[in-house]
Amino acid sequence: MPKILLVEDNEMNRDMLSRRLQRKGYSVVTAEDGEKGLSLARSEMPDLILMDISLPVMGGWEVTRHLKADDATRHIPIIALTAHAWVTDREKAIEAGCDDYDTKPVEFVRLSEKIENLLTVKK
Amino acid sequence: MILQDLSIKRKLTLITMLTSSLALVLFSASFLIYDLVSFRHLLSQDLMTQAEIIGYNSAGAMEFKDEPAATATLSALTAKEDIVTAVLYKPDGKIFAYYFRGNASLPSYLPSHLKENGYRFEGGYLEVFHDVTLNGEHLGTLFLQSDMRQWSQRARRYANILIVFVLVSGLFAFFVSSKLQGFISRPILHLEDTMRMVSVNKNYGVRAVKTYGDEIGRLIDGFNTMLAEIQQRDTVLQSTNGELKTRTQELEEEIFHRKQTQEELLNAKHAAEEANRAKSTFLANMSHELRTPLNAIIGYSEMLEEETRDSGKVENVQDLKKIQAAGKHLLALINDVLDLSKIEAGKMGLHLETFDVAQVIDEMVTTLQPAAKKNANSIRVHVDENVSVMRADITKVRQILFNLLSNACKFTDHGIISLNVGQIKVEGKNWIQFQVSDTGIGISAKQKENLFQEFAQADASIARKYGGTGLGLAITHRFVQLMKGKITVESEAGQGATFTVQLPAQVTFETADSTPSEETNVVSNNLPETKTDLETILVIDDDPSVRDLMSRFLTKLNFHVVAATNGEEGLRLARKIRPLLITLDVVMPECDGWTVLNRLKNDPKLAEIPVIMVTVVDNEARGLDLGASNYLIKPVQRDRLAVLVEKHRVARSSTITDTNSAPLYVGDGQPVRETTGTRVSRIRRN
Repeated sequence: MPKILLVEDNEMNRDMLSRRLQRKGYSVVTAEDGEKGLSLARSEMPDLILMDISLPVMGGWEVTRHLKADDATRHIPIIALTAHAWVTDREKAIEAGCDDYDTKPVEFVRLSEKIENLLTVKK
Repeated sequence: MILQDLSIKRKLTLITMLTSSLALVLFSASFLIYDLVSFRHLLSQDLMTQAEIIGYNSAGAMEFKDEPAATATLSALTAKEDIVTAVLYKPDGKIFAYYFRGNASLPSYLPSHLKENGYRFEGGYLEVFHDVTLNGEHLGTLFLQSDMRQWSQRARRYANILIVFVLVSGLFAFFVSSKLQGFISRPILHLEDTMRMVSVNKNYGVRAVKTYGDEIGRLIDGFNTMLAEIQQRDTVLQSTNGELKTRTQELEEEIFHRKQTQEELLNAKHAAEEANRAKSTFLANMSHELRTPLNAIIGYSEMLEEETRDSGKVENVQDLKKIQAAGKHLLALINDVLDLSKIEAGKMGLHLETFDVAQVIDEMVTTLQPAAKKNANSIRVHVDENVSVMRADITKVRQILFNLLSNACKFTDHGIISLNVGQIKVEGKNWIQFQVSDTGIGISAKQKENLFQEFAQADASIARKYGGTGLGLAITHRFVQLMKGKITVESEAGQGATFTVQLPAQVTFETADSTPSEETNVVSNNLPETKTDLETILVIDDDPSVRDLMSRFLTKLNFHVVAATNGEEGLRLARKIRPLLITLDVVMPECDGWTVLNRLKNDPKLAEIPVIMVTVVDNEARGLDLGASNYLIKPVQRDRLAVLVEKHRVARSSTITDTNSAPLYVGDGQPVRETTGTRVSRIRRN
C-alpha cells in the first residue's frame, strides 16, 4: 500500500483529499505546515508527497528544496499543488525540483492519474 | 576705376571743367593756327618782293661783272634781321657774290643746286630763288634765306598767352561749375541722406524734399511714394505682429493649460491604471479565495456521491450531482470572469505558434463528443484540402472553437452541428475561416444586438433552461479581436445559427491587437518576428518511429512538436521557428548530429536554444563538450525527458520574459487553467 504524505494547511482540503486518497487505497499521512511536512517526510519516508505550495511557517517550495537536497529523500516524487495559478509559484516549484504539479481546485481523477504515473515510474 | 567712384559733385565739376576747357583750347588753337599760317604767307610774299628789288639792283653789277658793287648791294640786307643768307649765282651755278649774317665765311648749308623761281620752306628756313635779268637776258640767280625769326617769336608769344588764358578760364570754369553742380547734386545727395536716415533709423515717416520738377524731382516723388507704401505696410505689419504676439501669448497660455490638463489626465490615467491593477489583483485574489471553498464543495460532493453510490442510496446521488454541477458552473464563471478581467486589463497576451489546423479540429471534436451526445446531436466536420497550418495562439483558437461548438451542442436538440474549415484570401492575405452551424433554437434579431456583450445571454429564461455563464461568446469575441480576426453570426429564431470566425493564417504581433496596457506594448515592441516559440520542440531524427514516439509523448505534455528528418532540415527549421528546445540524434546520414550540434552552437541566433542529445551513441562527454545541455541514451526514459523539458521551459520562459513580464498578474498571459497542463480542464463550459 503506497504511502502518501499530504502537506496542506487548509483543514477541509486536507481532510477531503486524505479521505479520497484513502478510499483509493493509499495510506495517507498529513501535515498542516511546511516544517511538519519536512520532518514527517524524513521520518515516514512516504512513496509520494502532495505539497501545497503556499504554506505557513515554511513554503512548499522551500520544503521541496530541502527534500531534494537530501540524499535520503531525493528519490521521493513530489507533486506541487499550486493553490492559485501564479506562474511564479509553479516556476518556483519546478525549480525546487518538484516532479509534477497540479492546480487547485483539484480534479481528483486527474490528480490520481498523476500520482499513479509517478508511482509507476518509481517502480 | 577711381574716376568712376568719384562723388557726383566731383564728377559734375570735372565734366563741366573739362568740357569748357577743351572747347576753349580747340578754339584758341584753331585761331592760332590760322594766324600763324597767314603770317607765314605774308612773310614769304615780303621775301619775294625783297628778292625782286635786290635782283633789279644787282642786275647792272652782274652785267659788268662788278663784284664789289654786287656785294655792296647785298650788304644792304643787314637792315633785314631775319635774312640770314643772300647769294648771287652766275648762270653756270658759281657764286658771284654773297651775304651772310653774323660772319663773313660761307655757311655749311647752301642749296646743292639752283631751283625754280619761287619760295619754299626747308629745314625751318624760308628760301627764295629769283632770276636776275636785264633787258630779257638771264644774268644769274639770287638766293635768299630767312630764319623766320618774327614768325617763331609770334608763335611763342601766342602759345604763352593761350596757356595762361586756358588756365585762367579753367579755374574760372571750376568755380562756376562748383557752384552750378549743386543744382543737380544737391537733390541727389539729399535723397541719399534721406535714404540713409530711413535705413539707419528705420523711420519710414521721413520724406525727401523735392526741389525741382526734373527727373530727380520725379525720382524723389517715386522714392516718397515708395516710402509711404513701406510705411503703410510697416504699420500693417506691426499691427499684425502685435496680433501675432497676442495670439502667441494666448497659444502659450492654452498650451500651458493643456499641459496642465494633460498632466491631470495622466495622473488620472495612472490612478485609473492603478485602480485597474488593484481590481485585477483583487479579482485574482478573490478567485483564489473563492476557489478554496469551492474546492471543498466539489471535492466533498464528489466524495459523498461515491460513498452514497457504494452504500446504495441512489436517490441522493442526483442531488449530489447537482451540487457538483453548480460548483463546477461557479468555477467556470470564476475562470471566465478572470479571463475577461485579464483581457480588459490588457494582460491577455498572445502566444503565437505554428500548428496543424486539422489536428486541432480532431482533438476538439473528440473532446466535444460527450457534449454532443447529451442532446443527441451529431457533429459533422469538413476541413478543406488547402487548409494546412496556421500561426496563432493555439489555446485561444481552441477556446474559440470550443465555445462556439459547445454552445451549438447546448442549444440544439436531436440536430446536426457542422464545422467547416477553409482558407480564403482577402486583400492578398490568407485567412482561415471556421464556420460553426447548428440546427438549434437560433437567435432572434433582438438577441443578436448584444450577443457578444458580457453577461448578456439571450434572455433570463434561456439562462435558466440551458445554464452557462453568459461570458463564453464575449470571451470568444475578445479572443478573435485579439488576433485581429472577425466574428459574425447569421441566424433567425428557430432556424439554427451559423457563427463564422475568420482569423489571419499568420497572426503576428503587429497585426494582433495591441492592448492599451503599457507593459504589453513593451512586450510587443521587444519581441521580434523570430521570437522564441516557448511551446514548440524540434525533434531531429532520421528514424520515423523515434520521431513518431517523441512527437506523441511531447504532444501529451502539451508541447507542439516539429520534426526534421535530417540535419540540414533541422538547422533550417531551428532558424525558422526558434523552438524552446531541440532533441537531436547523432547517427544520421549526410549531416550527423555532432555537426548539427556544432553548427547550432556556433550560430549566435541559435546558440541559446538548449539541445538534448537523444542517441544510442554513448559519448556524453563529447556531447556536453560541444554544448549540448543534456544527454539521453536510447531507449529514452520518458519521465526523465519530461522533467528535462519542463525544466528548460521554466528556465527559458523566465529568461525570455524576465525583462518584460508583468510580475503581479497571472503572469504570462495564459488563461489560468492552462497551467494545469492538460486539456481536461477545458471541458468545463458544459
